[in-house]
This record gives sequence, structure tokens and C-alpha cells, in this order.
Amino acid sequence: MTSLSLAWLVLLGVGSPFLLFAVLGGASLLNRPLRERWTGFLAAGSMTLSCAVLLTGLIIAGATRTGPRLLSFGAWSASHEGGVAIEFLVDRASLGFAALAAAIAGVVSAFSYRYLHREPGYNRYFILLSLFVSGMLLVALAGNVEVLFVGWELVGLSSALLVGFFHDRPAAVANALRVFSVYRVSDAAMLSAAVLLRHVAGTDSLSLLFGAARATTAGLSSANATMIAVLLIVAVAGKSALLPFSGWLPRAMEGPTPSSAVYYGSLSIHAGCFLLLRSAPLLMHAPAARVLAGVLGLVTAAFAGLATRVQSDVKSSLAYASLTQVGLIVVEIALGWNRLAFVHLAGHACFRLLQFLSAPNVLHDLHGMEETLSERSPKSVGVEVLLPQRWRRRLFLFALERGFLDSVLDRLVVNPFTATARRLTNLDAWLCGAVLPVERMLAPQAVREQDE
Amino acid sequence: MSNVGAWLTVAAAMPSLIAGASSARIEVERLRRLAVVGAAVMLAASLIVAMLPHAFELRTSAFTSEPGGEAVLRVDALSSVLLPLAAGLWLLTVAVTPRAALDRGGLRRTALATLITFASFLTESAVVLLLLSAGSLWTFLTALGGHQYQRRIVAVYLGASTVLFGVGVALLIGPHTQGTRWASVGLWIIAAAALLRKGIVPFHAWVPELFDRGRLGPTILYSAPQVGAYMTVVLIVPRATPELLRIIAVLALATSVYGAALALVQTSARRACGYLFMSQSALVMAGLDCTSTSALAGGLVVWLSAGLAFAGLARSVLVLEARRGRLDLSSYHGGYDRTPLLAISFLTMGLACTGFPGTLGFVGQELLVNGAVDAFPVMGFAIVAASALTGLAVLRMYFSLFCGRRDVFAHSALRFELTRREAWTLVAVIVALIGLGIAPRPLVDSRLAASDRILRERAHMSARE
Repeated sequence: MTSLSLAWLVLLGVGSPFLLFAVLGGASLLNRPLRERWTGFLAAGSMTLSCAVLLTGLIIAGATRTGPRLLSFGAWSASHEGGVAIEFLVDRASLGFAALAAAIAGVVSAFSYRYLHREPGYNRYFILLSLFVSGMLLVALAGNVEVLFVGWELVGLSSALLVGFFHDRPAAVANALRVFSVYRVSDAAMLSAAVLLRHVAGTDSLSLLFGAARATTAGLSSANATMIAVLLIVAVAGKSALLPFSGWLPRAMEGPTPSSAVYYGSLSIHAGCFLLLRSAPLLMHAPAARVLAGVLGLVTAAFAGLATRVQSDVKSSLAYASLTQVGLIVVEIALGWNRLAFVHLAGHACFRLLQFLSAPNVLHDLHGMEETLSERSPKSVGVEVLLPQRWRRRLFLFALERGFLDSVLDRLVVNPFTATARRLTNLDAWLCGAVLPVERMLAPQAVREQDE
Repeated sequence: MSNVGAWLTVAAAMPSLIAGASSARIEVERLRRLAVVGAAVMLAASLIVAMLPHAFELRTSAFTSEPGGEAVLRVDALSSVLLPLAAGLWLLTVAVTPRAALDRGGLRRTALATLITFASFLTESAVVLLLLSAGSLWTFLTALGGHQYQRRIVAVYLGASTVLFGVGVALLIGPHTQGTRWASVGLWIIAAAALLRKGIVPFHAWVPELFDRGRLGPTILYSAPQVGAYMTVVLIVPRATPELLRIIAVLALATSVYGAALALVQTSARRACGYLFMSQSALVMAGLDCTSTSALAGGLVVWLSAGLAFAGLARSVLVLEARRGRLDLSSYHGGYDRTPLLAISFLTMGLACTGFPGTLGFVGQELLVNGAVDAFPVMGFAIVAASALTGLAVLRMYFSLFCGRRDVFAHSALRFELTRREAWTLVAVIVALIGLGIAPRPLVDSRLAASDRILRERAHMSARE
């Protein structure tokens, strides 16, 4: 009975934002977008409902004190082998994170209702937000790799499209593409981990990674477990902006403030941490991967702590401050302090959301105060004052240029890839012409001009 | 059976009627409206054939030709779903193609091309397929009109493919070659013909050139149904050795990654479409490796999703070109606010091409990866790489074509929005791609049945040899 009611609650909790997406998206597709008031009302209602039922589920799961449960809603794509099944792995951690995500989305919806008043892309914003919340809930509750991947992809796409929300600005669009390109690397790593898991363990159930079936976890060889864990860490690094992928984080601040708050302050940036937290049993089985995660978290925290001090805009500064905490959460997971990591994650998500949403008001008040007092507010002083002047200058430049991460990635990956692909394009064009008869080959330009 | 025959007759009659009517003195716009209605009727009739429980009985000895022993006319689990694809692509063509690009002759040629594709999907006779392939090539060449460079590409590459196909068929079913070494040589030659026609690496160089220069509309109509994949399923898969199928799969996977990677850096929207098509259509060939029933079924689902999604994507580019001229991807064009539906359609169809969750492409790619991962894990990793790159290429195209600039230069009197016919057709394609992506079970079950039948046929042929 409890299982059945829990299944219904989870289905309703996850289905509610999906339904919102279908209603808002369908209306826009038919060129009949809903009015602002209706959109805001439906969004707030949907998120509240989702949060309420997931909280109820959490209370039920907590009261019954049973272990993780796999709720299966049957095969979705096929009734035979090879089909994708809809499965949710439900325990206190997954329900807790899902309820937190729905609550934060509800707060952001209510805030955005007024903040984005009369914005031309008002409906588009809520469509993408509902897509994002749906994705986050799937990531939180996924019981198999397919469901996790669906959620992961929805979060990534909605994130990129919201970074490019002000789509008539070239910078916003270029940055959105950059963010999406890192997300694709993350997606590819996640899917590769899934393919490897399926190949070596013959299953796509996340119970194997998330510890619901600890006995079988031991069935994975150490080498395979390490490879899967490393791929997951790459996926997490991409999504949570850990080094060397941190360069996209300040670029993602092009979107509206509420979306920056929910993505890069509270939820999306923690999605990777949550996945890593869930994969803790696998990490225990792969010590080399644990060390990698710990080092990555520590270096990221140090780098972000440095970068946040020199940012010239409040959103970037807050984003790097978030990243500092994300790095520390990853270190906690690597050390096996999972409960602390979960509490840290939940607390930080709420705190940073509040900071992001109140930042415009705080800045406004601060400017007002400075004008009244006719003097600048005092600068905070950090430990860097202990360093020699030369080192301070270097550190400042390093932090200001955000670790030169973008230019390094450009030089090592983007430029060689682009140059090779362009050469191959030219080769294809040449090969095509080379096979055509000689007389035309002698005058390809003339032929092209004639065609055009 | 009579029901199936009747509905097939209705479906085939529609393009024949439109081709005939194009010679009559009917005003072009009216003829086009008739073509839209005819294509819709053809689609409905094909869907009925696909859903009829007795459809698979249409395979009688009366229709069997002597040389190869294959049925000249048959409807089975494989073809029943391909028939609506042919009809749907015709409907998309006549409903969405800009008026200037589809005159009376164009309407006749699209009808004839559809009829030929429809007939191709109804036969498994090598000789009939060869004749239809030659007919299709002729229609394509005439559709290219005065675009000499494009015609030469088609004549050289697709002509070579047809000739190779003819030689292969002669060796495969010739009276003195059956069961000899020449028959297997014939099979390899047919495989080369199919690879050339599909633009699989290393026979791919013509595809982006063809998309980039000259007329895009006929190129889409010719490419999207993927008759080359059909040739492979009907003629090669039942007879080929596992080694030949593995070679085809490896080449196809390389093409898929290669096409997606090169689509990412193109400066011409048409050329990017060409590379995307290469990448997507190669995935279908990869699925034909026959590692398992579900991998093969995945390939067959990708066939439908890639055909529909790619045709929709390329038609969207064509619609946009009609409003803005040649599209360059090295700059931002803006205009989302003027054509939001076109932008959403483009993005949705592009995402369906990449196998994004919630679309039919995701279902196909999942089946493909899950089915192949045990026996051929390389396929899984290659599909992951191709999907990641394709997604990036599609989003780059979307941003470049619809975002990044205010529409300050366009005169407010210019009409950019879609016509009602265009809008409804694009919405229908989106609904089909997402609807089948959300509720894919009937389609996937039918594809599993088709792949099961193909594998049984293959086992039967192996046992006979």
C-alpha cells in the first residue's frame, strides 16, 4: 500500500512540471501563448503541487524507515528486450533532493512572475524553467541510466537556451553555445559510462552504482569500476563547472537573474555533486577515482575562491563563490563524508538562491547608501595581503582572466579541431571535383558561378 | 488482402493522378492545393495499410518474379511503415516548399519521385529495384534543371551507383552465377553501390557538394527516404557474411562521427545540412549490422526518425532561404521574433536528429546502443560521440539562423511569418516526432517484428547455402 501511494506521489511530483511544459509549450506552438497571469499562476501551482507531493513522499519514506526502493512503471519503448523502462530509485536522499528542487523552483517561479513582467520572452522563460525542473526531478529520482540521461539532457538544453534567453544579443548567444558545448562533453561522458556499465555489468540499473545492490557492486572489477567512475567524474565536472571546465560559468551569467539563481546558484550546479553523492558506493570501489575527485574538488575550490574575489559583476562573483562550495562538497564526497556533503549541498543551494535573488536589491541599497554618505564602502581584505606584491599581482591577473581556462581550451581543443575539420571539408570538395570529368575540373569556379 | 490491395491502390493513385493532372490546364496554385490533398490522402491510406492486421499477407506467388525468387510486390513488417514515410515526405514537400521553387513541372516530378519511392518500398525484387533506381535517378536529374554542376555530381556519383547496382544484380541473380563465387562478388558490388548512394565514407564527398550547390528541394526528396538503406536490407542483409555487415557498420559509424564533426564547422547552412544528413543516414546502416534484434530495430526506427526529422530540418532551411536568401553560418541572422514557429520547428527537428529525449530519434538510438553494446561496444561509443557533435552542430545552426541580432534592418512591411499551410505542416511533423517519441511502443514493436523477420530470413538463407 505504501509502495503504491509512494509510486503515485512520485509520478505526480515528476509529472506536474512535465504537464506544465506540455501546456505552455503546446499553447505557444499553436501560436496561442497564455497570458502572463495564467502562465505565472500555472507555474507556481505546478511547482507547489510537485513540492508538496514529493515532501509527502519524503515523510512517508522517512516514517516507514525502509531502504531504497525501485519504483518501476514498466517498459516504455518496447514490450520486448532492449526497451527503455521508466524506473525511479526512491530513498530519503533522492526524495529530499527532489523536494528541494521543486521548492526552489517554486520560489523562483514566484519571483520571476514579477521580475520578468512584460518581458517579450516571458512564456519562453517559463517553458524552459518547467523543462529544467522536469529534468532535475528525473536526475534526482532516476532508477536507471536512461531516465538519468533524459533528465541530464533536459537540464543541459534548458540551461543553454536560458543563457541565450536575450537572443538578440550576440554575446548571449555565443556564450550559450559555449556552455552547451561543455554540457555535450559532459553528456558524452555520462553516456559513455552508461555504455561501459551496460557492457561490463549487463545492466543499466543505477542500483548497481548507487548502492541499492551493494553485493553486486563488488561484482564490478576494480579497473571497470575506476573507468566508470572516472567517466562519471568527467560528466560531473562538465555539469558542475569543476576544473578544467570552469570557463563556462561566468559566460552562463548572460541569462535573466532568476535563471542564473536557479541554475548556477542552487540546482544545476549541484546536479553533478548529487550524482557523485549517489555514486559514492562506486567511488568506494574505485580509490583512484576518489583521489581524482578529491583533487579536482580541492583545486576547483581554491581557484574559484580566488576568482570570486576579483569579479567585476555581482553575478559572476556569486557564481564563483558557488563554485568554491561545490568544490568543497566534492572533496567531502571524496572523503566519504556523505551526510555532511548532502547537508552542505542542500544548505548551500538555499543560501545561494537567496543571495542571487536579493543581489539586485542589495546592490541598489548599497549604491544608495554610498551616495548618501558620499564615500565608497570599505573593501574587504583577505589573506592575499600576506603575499609579496609581485605574487599578488600575478594572482590578481590569473584570477581576473579566470585562470586563462578558455584560451587554453581554445588552443588545445577548439582550434585544432576546427582547423582539421575545415581541412577535411576542403578535401571533400576537392575529392568531389576530382572525380568529375576533366574539362569541368579545369574551370570549377566558372561552373559554380553559372550555378549560382 | 483485398483491403490492403484497395488501400495500396488508393495510395499509389494519388501521385499518379497529380502527375497526370500536371499536364492539364489547371492553375499552378490550384494544382498545388490538389497535390497537398492528394499527399494527405496518400498518407492516410498508407497509415491504414500499416495498421491493418492482415497487411502482411500481401505476398502471393502470383506476384513473384522468376529470376531472384523475390516478391515483386509485397507488404510486410518492414515496408508497411516505410510507405507512410514516403507519403509524409511528399506531403511535406508540396506543403512547405516555397512557391517559386515548385512550379508545374516540379509538382509532376515530386509526384513521380514519390511514386517511385513508394514502389521501391513495395518490392524486394532486385530487378525491379534496379529499374526503379534508374527511374529515380532520371527524375532527380530532370528536377535539377539547369544546375549543371549539381547535375554532373548526380550523373557521375549516383550514375556510378546505379551501374554498380546493375552489375551486382546481374552477378547475384544471373542464371549461371547463382551459388558461385560470382554471386558473392555481386553482393560486394551491390554493397559498394549502396554505400555510394548513401554517401558512406569513403564514398561521401559528393553529398555536401550536392546539398550546397543548386536545388535543395529535389535533393531532400531524393535523399530523405534512404532507398539505399532499403536496398541493403532487402538484398544485402539476408545474404551477406557477418564480415561484410561488420565492414558496412564500421564505415557507417565512421561516417556518422565524421559527418557530425564536419557539420559543426561549416559556414554554409546547406552544406551543414549535407553533413548532418550523412551522419544521420549512416546510423541506419550501422544498425543493419544484425548484432541483435533490438539493434536492428533501432536502426529501423532511426531510419524513420532521421528521414522525417532531417527532411523537416532541411525544408525549414529552404523556407528560411526563401525569405532571406542564401544562409551563412558565420554570422548571426536574428529574426526569432518574426518567425518563432519556424525557429521552434528547426530546433525540434534538429534535436530529433540528434536523438534528444522525448523525440523519436532518442528511442531509435537507445535501441541501437542497448542492442549492440554487448557484441559491438564500439557502436555505443561512436553513437555517443556522433550524437554529442550533432547536437552541438544543430544548436550552432539554430543560434546563427534565428538569434544573435535585432531585426532592425528588415522593413516592417516584409512578411516573414509562415503561411498557414506551412505552419500546420511543420506543427504536424513536430507532433509526429514528439508523439512517437513519447509513446513509441506500437512503432517499436512493429520494428522489432520487422527485424525479427529480417534475421529469420537471414538465418533461412544461411541454412539454404
